[in-house]
Amino acid sequence: MAVNNLSLDAIQGEILGFLGLNGAGKTTTIRILLDLLRPNRGNAFILGHDCQSDGLRARLNIGYLPGEMGIYSDLTGREVLNLLAGLSGHVINMSRRGELQERLEFPTSDLRRRLREYSTGMKRKLGLIQAFQTDPMILILDEPTEGLDPLMQESFYKLLEDVKQRGRTVFMSSHVLSEVERVCDRIALVRKGELVLLSNVEELRKLAARQVRVHFAEDVPGPRSWNLKVEGPLGPLLRTIATLPVQDIEIEEPKLEDVILKYYRDGAK
Amino acid sequence: MRSAGLLFAYSLKRVRTLVITTGLLLAALQLVLIFVAGSIQRSGGFDQLAALLPPFARQLLGPSVATFMSFSGIVCLGYFELAVMGALIALAVTLATTPASEVEIGFMDLILARSLARHWIITRTIALTVVVSAFMLALMVAGTWTGLRLFAPQGVEWPSARLVNSLAVNLGMLTLCWGGVAMAIGAASRRRSVAGGAAGLLALAAFLLDYVARLWQPAEKIAWLSPFRYYNPFDLITGNALPFKNLAVLGAITLVGFAAAYVLFARRDISH
Repeated sequence: MAVNNLSLDAIQGEILGFLGLNGAGKTTTIRILLDLLRPNRGNAFILGHDCQSDGLRARLNIGYLPGEMGIYSDLTGREVLNLLAGLSGHVINMSRRGELQERLEFPTSDLRRRLREYSTGMKRKLGLIQAFQTDPMILILDEPTEGLDPLMQESFYKLLEDVKQRGRTVFMSSHVLSEVERVCDRIALVRKGELVLLSNVEELRKLAARQVRVHFAEDVPGPRSWNLKVEGPLGPLLRTIATLPVQDIEIEEPKLEDVILKYYRDGAK
Repeated sequence: MRSAGLLFAYSLKRVRTLVITTGLLLAALQLVLIFVAGSIQRSGGFDQLAALLPPFARQLLGPSVATFMSFSGIVCLGYFELAVMGALIALAVTLATTPASEVEIGFMDLILARSLARHWIITRTIALTVVVSAFMLALMVAGTWTGLRLFAPQGVEWPSARLVNSLAVNLGMLTLCWGGVAMAIGAASRRRSVAGGAAGLLALAAFLLDYVARLWQPAEKIAWLSPFRYYNPFDLITGNALPFKNLAVLGAITLVGFAAAYVLFARRDISH
């Protein structure tokens, strides 16, 4: 079973990162939300509308970026954007599209080219523009930065911040943990189709062990430099070393990646 | 409704080159046939041609052999020539399996992520198949009348408008019938090649069944299963009226195919 016992809510105005290893059920979950796949049991809702029985209303205010942009390569970029905006039933907001093109550095001249001439990154940018161009209430993004260069990734993160400030909700799957840590408010982690973690990013970061390096001026029991991993508050450690001849102490910020990788590894076992 | 119209216009635009090229080729074939028929007529060669027909061909043609071996008969050949029928059926199968193609490349994900009901995908495909098939036949009929005006010898008897229209309507129904079959298969498929291949093989098997049954009596018992049985151009050429039963059977197969496509596509999972 691709997805089982998965229960989670996205709160309006948040960016919810949806994580998992390949085959964990991320894309399956997204496809259920879009009514592309029908669940054997259970329900999914978007803005209170059942994704299966009331799918048309549920999808009325969605912007979707698939993992791979499946588009006929004989179409021009403009034809793709016009068609997909038209199918959404929304009036094409040219100023919004222009703003997105500017932010993602997608010149209008490129919109006149056929997709067969596009690079992977350009297709990804086009995918982002089509998802954002109708300014939907909900954005469902499957691996959105796949194929984008670092500068474009940065532009995309700023775009996400903007839509979040305007109260839009973003549900995005990603493999890039640093990206999730940077842009997401909460994280949902699936493993073998089941939700194993749903947490605020800040709270999750607190669970991470801190890397602490202590250098001593004189010989102490053990080596003169200690490399420690500390989970939880640092007080007990500081009290312990306070009596020792500490020369220097380095404390690294806790990394969310460490916690998530632990969940991944546990799953691998 | 507006979204569905947009999707139809987009789909039509994508196939316009294929459709116009095929249509012009079929129309041109009508002109060539009439030119050839006119040449044979002028040289008085129809009697010699009839004499050259092998026995199995005579058996196939039956009593219509005399009518077929005439200027009018050769003009009508463009409506039941194997390549013409094959081209029309192949085009209908190609169009009818558009949903399978859209699923295969992932475009269906983007379409259905919008607020568009699934039945519009099939309605669009039906409209596309019907409009294009009608356009093809209209071009063929236009080619026939243009050819007759340009190349028919003086004083020769032209096929009646009723005969040409009957052949076109019956051929159109046969084309749509295979479009319906292909659409039902395509609505449940992930690959256009699989859907098109299956429909094409079915059509070939049905054609062979009908062909064999016309030459070998025992096969006649199951020949009713072949949709090709319900397109009998030689009956029409000999002056018989367009049989309602044939149209009804072909129409019924078409409608069942379309209905099955609606049901299958509504229930399926979209994954590529």
